[in-house]
Amino acid sequence: MNKNNKLQEFTPLFEPKTVAVIGASAKGGALPNHFIRRIREFGYSGDIYPIHPSAADIDGLPAYKTLADTPLPVDYAYIAVAGAQIPDMLTAAKGHVRFAQVISSGFGEVDEGKELQDQLVAAARAGGMRLIGPNCLGIFTPRGGVTFAEVGPQETGGVGVVSQSGGLGTDIVRRGLGRGVKFSGLITVGNCADVTPTELLEYYFADAQTKVIGMYIETAKDGRRMFEMLRAQKAAKPVVILKGGRTQQGLLAAASHTGSLAGDDRVWMALSKQTGCVMVDTLDQFIDTLLLFQSLTPKTAQPTQRVTLFGNGGGASVLATDYFAKLDLDVTPFDATTIAALAELKLPPGTSITNPVDCPVGTLQQDDGRVAEKILDIIYASGKPDALVMHLNMSAFVGRSKPEVLDNLVAAALRVQEKYPGQAHFVLVLRSDGEPALEQRKREFRARAVALGVPVYDEMSNAGHALAALKLHERFVWTRSTESL
Amino acid sequence: MNPQELIARARAQQRTALDERAGKSLLTEYGVAVPRSVTVKNAGEVDAAFAKLNPPLVVKIMSPDILHKSDAGGVKIGLKSAAGVKDAINAMAASPKIKGARIDGYLIEEMAPAGQEIVIGGLRDPQFGPLVMVGLGGIFVEVLADVSFRICPITRLDAEEMLAELKGAAILAGARGRKPASRAAIVDALLKIGGDNGLLMQHAEDISEADINPLMVSESGAVAVDARFILR
Repeated sequence: MNKNNKLQEFTPLFEPKTVAVIGASAKGGALPNHFIRRIREFGYSGDIYPIHPSAADIDGLPAYKTLADTPLPVDYAYIAVAGAQIPDMLTAAKGHVRFAQVISSGFGEVDEGKELQDQLVAAARAGGMRLIGPNCLGIFTPRGGVTFAEVGPQETGGVGVVSQSGGLGTDIVRRGLGRGVKFSGLITVGNCADVTPTELLEYYFADAQTKVIGMYIETAKDGRRMFEMLRAQKAAKPVVILKGGRTQQGLLAAASHTGSLAGDDRVWMALSKQTGCVMVDTLDQFIDTLLLFQSLTPKTAQPTQRVTLFGNGGGASVLATDYFAKLDLDVTPFDATTIAALAELKLPPGTSITNPVDCPVGTLQQDDGRVAEKILDIIYASGKPDALVMHLNMSAFVGRSKPEVLDNLVAAALRVQEKYPGQAHFVLVLRSDGEPALEQRKREFRARAVALGVPVYDEMSNAGHALAALKLHERFVWTRSTESL
Repeated sequence: MNPQELIARARAQQRTALDERAGKSLLTEYGVAVPRSVTVKNAGEVDAAFAKLNPPLVVKIMSPDILHKSDAGGVKIGLKSAAGVKDAINAMAASPKIKGARIDGYLIEEMAPAGQEIVIGGLRDPQFGPLVMVGLGGIFVEVLADVSFRICPITRLDAEEMLAELKGAAILAGARGRKPASRAAIVDALLKIGGDNGLLMQHAEDISEADINPLMVSESGAVAVDARFILR
């Protein structure tokens, strides 16, 4: 019931039929003018209503004096003008606006703006709308055709994000897209004066398009509600949390041992343990993990534990084995049957076939790279790992192999993983030294792989962290699915 | 006295915390075992009290002015006779650190059987509400901060995971020739404190911090030897 309410309530925000813009200048050049241009370029097809006290038109669009004057009611208003003017503008909307996102700052994030923020919230109530922000950057919603970030048209995907920071929201969109992340939406919420991150999480849980939910959060004013909601959801979708300002420090004025031992960090760790949310520490890990959940379907009946590593680079394999062990992922040798099957291939000396499967370039370029298909076949069919990480040190092929060897290796990888659907989680690591020609090829490989649902990482450690997050989610669902609350 | 009355009385007396006896009454209401005890006003009441208890006994000062009883010389353990209890009370009353304090009386308690010291704590987080904590007693908590927190209410599985998460968890199984401590008894106490209808959830509006330190855990059960509840 409640679930459908949030879906219904927030759909006009993510798919607005009408957008009002406050703060665009008749002369152009202001941030809201860029916003109008960006959403037009992004493919926004609904009505755009610039609001301006005197101009007749802005950027070729007829302008209206107040939010109450637009031809159709406003689903989404983007507001970036001096903060003190905004409360009156919201009050004037008189129920004509569903959502107002206030980009402007100078509100509750500074002491002298706290009162103005209270006025803003009261005005939004009086005007009959929900308020997003203030002190944020906007919304990025490919299905709604709206973007605050400077990016070309994008297809809708399964990653839904809430970010308390606007700047970081831009990073997540732009870097995420570069890595192949496809968003169901990303919204920056700033001070969260009215609409809370919890409500948006609820929307993403209810939204059929969203497969995995990400959140960057600094302060959870409604932490209790967030906990209760996440607990009730029982990780029905994976949730990845990047928490800013996690401190170890306990209460400054604690009167008890307990008080002095409790840091913000401990609370968020507790939240993760009790709700199955994955906590990550860096922006890279955040994107790595979202990409993984976008690409792979969690196997909650058999949580990931046994991992096979296959690729070139002996030292890299050894280091990765150690690192994965630290993350509580097992890279343990195959059974005798699998080793015997791999031995049948009679790979050249220097090849290790026990797991990690370590193949020097000389081995991998056999049959112009098609050998990989045979090796992968045996790993899938006989080794049966929970996850398979194939890693290619692209630099090692330079000057030794025909260019098509790498193409064939990647093609073999993508072909074989399709042959065994629903078996091992397949992850590709493409390592390079940053040389421009190699980076270009890596981009091409990545695009091909991600399109087929294979997440691609730059290093083994990145892949390891993402797989550890997958394992945590799978384990939580596995152990908690039968628990009654 | 029911829990609400215990808290109301402390507030009426302008106290910022429940005294030890009230704290233990609160624990009893939620099914957490505490040692048998009698409170006396002075040494003159000891004989009647002694007859009701099984030695060895411990005497503790009760004063709103003394937060750290041991540091002030307000705890004396291992007393086997009524005379020993009287001497302890007279010595406390005369000690320099206690002399000027308001004294509510003296708590005479049976000593809990030896066991593993555990700490269970509570805390009201401004954003997330009541939290519950568990750790092994002594240096594990005080030096190593080897504790585990959860947001209330916790489930049985949460409580079990809290214990498993402690770095010193192996000690509960009885490391280095020590007797094992009952994990079931700790889980049970955690649920009574931090569970769905537990103490911290029921009194979330009243309790800002809590320390049950130590909870003495043997092979078969757990007894709360000391308890502090700081009021909001």
